[in-house]
Amino acid sequence: MGELRNVIVFAIGAARYAIELRWVREVVTLGFVTAVPTAPPVLGGLCNLHGAILPVLDVATLLELPPGPPARQGDGALVLEAEATVCALRVDQVDHVASLVETEGAVVDATGRPLTLLDPVKITRRALELIAAEPS
Amino acid sequence: MSDIDFDDDELAMLRQLFRSEAHDALEVVTARVLSSGSARPSGEAIGEMMRVTHTIKGSAGTVGLGAMVDLAHRLESAFAVIGRDPQVWTAATADQIVEVTDGLRGYVDQLIAQPAGAEHTAAQLRTQIANLTNTEPPPERPSFPRFEHHSESMVIPTIVTAGALEPLGDAPSDSAVASPRTLTPPLGTLTAPTALAETRDLGVRGDGRQLRVEPERIDNLMSSAGELLFDRTRIERRVQLLRTVARDLARTRQNLRDAIGPSSAANRGLVEAETELAGQAALLSQTTAALLDEIEALRRTIGELQRGLTRIRMDTARNLFLHAARTLRALRRATGLVVELRTLGEDTEFDKAVAEQLVDPITQLLRNAVAHGIEPPDERAQRGKPPTASITIRARQDGNLLVLELSDDGRGVDTAALRERLVATNRWSAARAQLATDGDVLDALGTGVSVRGDADELAGRGIGLDVVRQTVARLGGEVKVSSVPGRGTTFSLRLPLSTSLAQAMLFKVGGQVYAIPAVHVVDTTLVEPGATFTTVRHEQLPVLRLEALLGHGITQERRPGVVVTFAGKGFVGTVDKIVGPREIIIKPLGPLLAPLTLYAAATISGSGKVQLILDPAQLVRRAHPDAPEAIGELASSPMVLAGRALVVDDSRAIREAMTSMLGREGWIVDVAEDGARALQMTRQLRYDLVVTDLEMPELNGFDLIARLRDDARFKTTPIVIITSRANPEHRRRAKELGVRALVAKPITRRKLLEALALR
Repeated sequence: MGELRNVIVFAIGAARYAIELRWVREVVTLGFVTAVPTAPPVLGGLCNLHGAILPVLDVATLLELPPGPPARQGDGALVLEAEATVCALRVDQVDHVASLVETEGAVVDATGRPLTLLDPVKITRRALELIAAEPS
Repeated sequence: MSDIDFDDDELAMLRQLFRSEAHDALEVVTARVLSSGSARPSGEAIGEMMRVTHTIKGSAGTVGLGAMVDLAHRLESAFAVIGRDPQVWTAATADQIVEVTDGLRGYVDQLIAQPAGAEHTAAQLRTQIANLTNTEPPPERPSFPRFEHHSESMVIPTIVTAGALEPLGDAPSDSAVASPRTLTPPLGTLTAPTALAETRDLGVRGDGRQLRVEPERIDNLMSSAGELLFDRTRIERRVQLLRTVARDLARTRQNLRDAIGPSSAANRGLVEAETELAGQAALLSQTTAALLDEIEALRRTIGELQRGLTRIRMDTARNLFLHAARTLRALRRATGLVVELRTLGEDTEFDKAVAEQLVDPITQLLRNAVAHGIEPPDERAQRGKPPTASITIRARQDGNLLVLELSDDGRGVDTAALRERLVATNRWSAARAQLATDGDVLDALGTGVSVRGDADELAGRGIGLDVVRQTVARLGGEVKVSSVPGRGTTFSLRLPLSTSLAQAMLFKVGGQVYAIPAVHVVDTTLVEPGATFTTVRHEQLPVLRLEALLGHGITQERRPGVVVTFAGKGFVGTVDKIVGPREIIIKPLGPLLAPLTLYAAATISGSGKVQLILDPAQLVRRAHPDAPEAIGELASSPMVLAGRALVVDDSRAIREAMTSMLGREGWIVDVAEDGARALQMTRQLRYDLVVTDLEMPELNGFDLIARLRDDARFKTTPIVIITSRANPEHRRRAKELGVRALVAKPITRRKLLEALALR
């Protein structure tokens, strides 16, 4: 039996994911998204979050799936804080908050469907690697 | 080229400087007048009013604003008359002067932003200034109650200064009929000379020890600390690269290890080399890791440095409240409404840069309250409200945020009417208007809708509130509106206590706005299609196609270009459109974007969009790909050094103008704001040229020169006097002291070069 996790469950495209609540600073609607030329696809753009610069990441690229639609004004996003870095993940829908049991990197929701549990520490590190790898 | 003193951008920047300097100087005049109520200010105060007006005159000439020179001259003369003849002062003079200084402030802004049409304002101001010394009461003055009328029934507008946050209702209800005598103390504290004069008292309170520091010097330190931040980012990027190399090296070593296979007598040498390599790779990894830790420590120290400097530069809410009092005074005169201003939390401290940005929003909110909020006296009587309306401004600190609340006790916002207007103007659907809460409706205020259908001159169509929202958003804050129908409206501004401002040139590429720090942008030009080089000021500069660099196609048309220099190397960057110079707020990009070397930082526009700041060091490297790597790290100046010059003048605009002119001739320029400071600087350093003004606080120009000539090191140093008052007596004295030349303000480059050429 795994550990109990407080998670937020959300959907990007057809896939559903969960992230532990302790990493989530807030759920926001994105304002104008500024493109960053020369940046790799993982960086969807920059937004103004309460006067600070917020990088918006593309989850699909991070998971080595085909990239999703570009982040745009009005999209929903989860603001995460890990590794002293604040970034946002564009999401299509936020479902609910729940306490679920983790087994081997996945949790199972109330209907018995497995959800990928995303680790913001790994996400941040991977994003930094991808951005640093781009010759600019 | 030789008879143009400044190029357009430089002139624009100098004029902006002049603008803020003129505003400060006029503020001093207003403060002196307001501090003595409607009585005639002391001789000393009038002397200072003349001196600062004189300074405006000199600076205006140098930045080529002749019309302003004339007005400042007239005002100075009027003050001279007032100083000589006490009979000239009438009960109305104080208000008239405040009106003139307010008018001049607006005029300066107009002259710089849209000179066309400014002449009308100038004509008006000339009449107003002429009226100052005209003892007949000006005919068109409204019959508004004045301070000197001591009638009990008269309502006197007043500032109530409460020490701490306290409920509004607790303010004494008779404060509205306070006599002018009780008014003086709070006003006096508001306008204490040190609060507004150019040199500000800072530092230690309590034990009486104070340090006098000119605000600019702190600003300079602030920008150095800002530069430090950019430097750190550059170093960090290099170390990140080093870390990648270390990682690659470790991998290569592993491959080598695998290729060598088991150790044997035959490959002993290889095995030993591989072991050594392993040790070296490990050391490199450790060192880079340690370096990164140290950079992190550096980041913290720089942060502390910036916070410390910001604390020194802190302003209190007092100056902002003084501004509000003056604005309300003008509004009362324009509308005839009787409104008192209450201010709470005047000791709340926040960044001077933030305070400056808040002047316009506060003016707008006051206008708004007077135009939309406060009812005419008969309507107030009907509702059983006291005849004197009140506007309260509270300032307080909430964690890292400054909270400013401006409340009026007027009619409140009619949310039903606002809902109708939102629907009528097609901004909202009928369904949305129905579902929205009153709070949602209030939030729509200032996004292009106004409560009133008609626009009036005081506060039209909610556009003013747009400006408030934009300014506050740019500072990284937000505006909340709350209102109780019939009881009043409150605007709450929540924003960071401090901010780091910089000048930048903004331009568009591929539909997005980008910025380059203004210090590195020297000009703008046009670039022919296909050109790889272009001539700017007789110099061949490489063309860097920014549209290609930023991921857009190159088009076959003439494009505007920004001329950028960094560390002695220049280039022309092509853009879609030049937006122009702006003051921007620098926001760090954060660790995720650190590897993207093209961007130094970002800023946030008035509409809340993120805009990227390009790193000129990187751009210059791309424009000169064949140049050695040293470019950008080693600032190599192609200029032949002429020597070290000291410029002494109490006007910052003149100091900047001289620095720029002399700098172009190869001089290293130091500046001092008065003779005393200059003398102190000459004791520490030798100068090859001294350029000084005559009239300055502390130690004047002639005294400075006499003291310098007493010093063996400065016996024969060339000295040039710049002055707006050159009479024969001055010339005689200058000759006696061995002054090389006396140059009349306004200074032009030609005049200065001629003076320097005299031997």
